[in-house]
Amino acid sequence: MRAQRPLIWTAGLLAAVVAGCTGGSTPPAPAASAGASAPRASRPDISGTWVHPGGPGGASLRPAEGYPLTPWAIEKMKSEKPTSTTNDFRETTDPAVLYADPNGYPRIQMHPMKFKLVQTDDYVYHLWEYNQNWRQIAINKEHSPDDPPTWYGNAVGKWEGDTLVVDSTGYKPSTWLTGQGLPHTEDLHIVERIRRDGDTLVMHLTFEDPGAFTKPWSIENKYQRVEDGAMIETIYTISDELRFRERFLGVPSPIPIRR
Amino acid sequence: MRSRVSILAGIVGVLLLSSSTLAHHGATSLYDVSKITTLKVTITEFVWTNPHVEVGIASVENKSDHWLLELGSPPNIANRGWTSKSLKVGDVVTVTFNPGLRGVRIGKLLKVVLPGGKELLA
Repeated sequence: MRAQRPLIWTAGLLAAVVAGCTGGSTPPAPAASAGASAPRASRPDISGTWVHPGGPGGASLRPAEGYPLTPWAIEKMKSEKPTSTTNDFRETTDPAVLYADPNGYPRIQMHPMKFKLVQTDDYVYHLWEYNQNWRQIAINKEHSPDDPPTWYGNAVGKWEGDTLVVDSTGYKPSTWLTGQGLPHTEDLHIVERIRRDGDTLVMHLTFEDPGAFTKPWSIENKYQRVEDGAMIETIYTISDELRFRERFLGVPSPIPIRR
Repeated sequence: MRSRVSILAGIVGVLLLSSSTLAHHGATSLYDVSKITTLKVTITEFVWTNPHVEVGIASVENKSDHWLLELGSPPNIANRGWTSKSLKVGDVVTVTFNPGLRGVRIGKLLKVVLPGGKELLA
């Protein structure tokens, strides 16, 4: 109806202003040296909810030429028993199953579930639907020599044009990089280049770890923007694992399982 | 026959294998993904939990024939139309699943056909 047009125009203008202030669906023009002090409207926008379009098995870390494994890494990988290959599930050595340990990074990024990037002036928060785990990327800060090893590493980032370059270290060596048991040491160093191309998020990762890899190697995954940012609680605990083992594998739990 | 079991090969098998090998609980180490069982059953439990939603069933043909089936994780199956209310105890439905290896009465649920004909895929 005609009488409603001014209201619609006003709403549209308001939406445009809000999008400009908060980083709407259209990325602002890349800023040459955007960072913590950059005005919000000019900061590159990678915020939003994302998912790999390939579903289970879609996101992958495996480079076309294969992993450049050191002899140590080859032996370590041979000794592990992923759930996808072991003949008896009860023998798996996968820490994310056996102990319900956090997946660590970037294994959690391989889940066929959503993740969300939230930007503030000082941090980019990377929130995963799986297990409600998250990491923070400190913008324009340096690594601290006192940072202890953690499940999701210690990450600092800076903007290079429209790309967020993330440098991370300090990963607990007990985590696997993939569900197939790809190992790493405490010296794992990951450099990520994250940028947005319309409704696609491009994440390019380069891995360095002299103990596990004979040379640096890289992989790129692309994720699609999800309009509905709702994420469903899916917290996996050791009590879930004990319940699963008792009910599906017939392995008695040492404590009463949750009913 | 107590259950109608058919062994499928080819594209279907390949697709099922490729989608299940990365499942958290490793379908290939628990379930015979080359076999597909279809049964008309009564739902005995439907537990919306992690790591995988659990579905208890009893065969309509033989009520003492009980199975425990697993679905995907809640967020993954929610994307395919499942909710925590999709099934309830006493519902009579037709289920299709990969049965457990070595004759264990467990299974990886693939599809449910509700009484009205609506299909829910795992």
